[in-house]
Amino acid sequence: MAKETKGGKWTSDLVLDLYSSLLSEVWEVVSALIGEAILELLFNLSIKKIGEKYPFLNSLKVSEEGISLEKMREDYRSMPPVEIHRGFQSLFNHLLNLFSALTEGVISREVFPKVFPKVREAERLVSQK
Amino acid sequence: MRLIFKNLNILRSIINTINTSFEIKEIVESAGNNLPNLFEFSAFGVLWKAESTLYLYQEESCPSSFTQEVARNMVRVFSILGEEPNDLDRVTLQVEKRKLRPSHMMMDPKATLKSYLTLPLAVEEEIIGCVSLNSDQPNAFDAQDLQFFSVIGYQMAATLKHFQRFSSVKTMAIYDTLTTLYNRGYLEERLIIEAQKSFYGGIALSLVMVDIDHFKKVNDTFGHTEGDKVLKEIASLLKTSVRKKDTVARYGGEEFILILPEAGLDEASMIAERIRRLVESTLFEVGQARMNLTVSLGISNFPSHHARSKEDLVKMADQALYDAKRGGRNRVCIFNPA
Repeated sequence: MAKETKGGKWTSDLVLDLYSSLLSEVWEVVSALIGEAILELLFNLSIKKIGEKYPFLNSLKVSEEGISLEKMREDYRSMPPVEIHRGFQSLFNHLLNLFSALTEGVISREVFPKVFPKVREAERLVSQK
Repeated sequence: MRLIFKNLNILRSIINTINTSFEIKEIVESAGNNLPNLFEFSAFGVLWKAESTLYLYQEESCPSSFTQEVARNMVRVFSILGEEPNDLDRVTLQVEKRKLRPSHMMMDPKATLKSYLTLPLAVEEEIIGCVSLNSDQPNAFDAQDLQFFSVIGYQMAATLKHFQRFSSVKTMAIYDTLTTLYNRGYLEERLIIEAQKSFYGGIALSLVMVDIDHFKKVNDTFGHTEGDKVLKEIASLLKTSVRKKDTVARYGGEEFILILPEAGLDEASMIAERIRRLVESTLFEVGQARMNLTVSLGISNFPSHHARSKEDLVKMADQALYDAKRGGRNRVCIFNPA
């Protein structure tokens, strides 16, 4: 079950906020490198693949304008935060592998420093007692 | 800042070349010719799913082991992107080798793939192939290279998709159904592009107009079906006598035109003379008979003949052909302004 923090915000919301901001950052950096159309395609491929194990990811809406979590927030607010975290962690792992397969370190070098601290932060949030 | 402007100009030029290409081979070749101005690479590849063909444009000194490694890697990356695994054995490899480096920087015969950039060729969420830059040097590409390369890939994807959509229509629209040479419509379009390249770039361009001598007699004596056979055979001889970059088209009736980009008068004369001799020495089977035929050829050239338009070039070649006919046929004449 999702937990409420002292500030009154659900942990699931916090985890979603965190990953939402990470998605925006990654989108901004990578779209500048390879363009929105290719990035949209890579995101959709990754969501399709990882969405098999974490179906909530299929509610991410990807377009050339970016990624929207609106539907995810509506539908999965009550989902256990650890499940959300694991899903996004897998998604980012897959994306980073894809970026590496395509361009070796060129994209990963730019993206990894952004992804790693946020995933650690999410890890911390979901493990809070 | 000046370097960025220079690179943007090169990028524009590459995109323009891609946009004005008619065939994938042409895209790969013309992009490949321009890419060394932007990147240092050993091989540039385009994998096109529709044709299951991998086009590689690479440094002359690339060892075959490197070529294979690049091909394997592109197919592997494409498999990661696509839903179905792709097998290198089912992909046709078309390799063009060019001198991309000075002699003292030739590739080591044991060179291996050290770095690459590969991007999907995608249009409207459909992956139609992938495009790749490869190097035998470690860390050969950076973020700016990727930015430029993605723009090229994007344009290439749009053009290839366009080809895919219109390939059947294009086949009907650009080929002469009898000879399978390009038709007059395509010739006109091709000539506009080649003339632009030449006139603005100051690059040589030659036209050769070919006419079968006494062809009317063949038709009148043996009938049109036999006449058509002769046209097909001569078309085939023309195709085998030119260079890869040349265009051979049926201009109408028994007349053909060859567009020879980057060919000066000497080279054009050599090609024309080769054709003349080849036709002269071929025995054509017409009905039950075997007979010799000849052709007359007229040549025009930019810049030698001061043509100002593609129409000028055609008129000049036509005039030279007229001179060849008047001079007794079975000969090559160069346009003479006098």
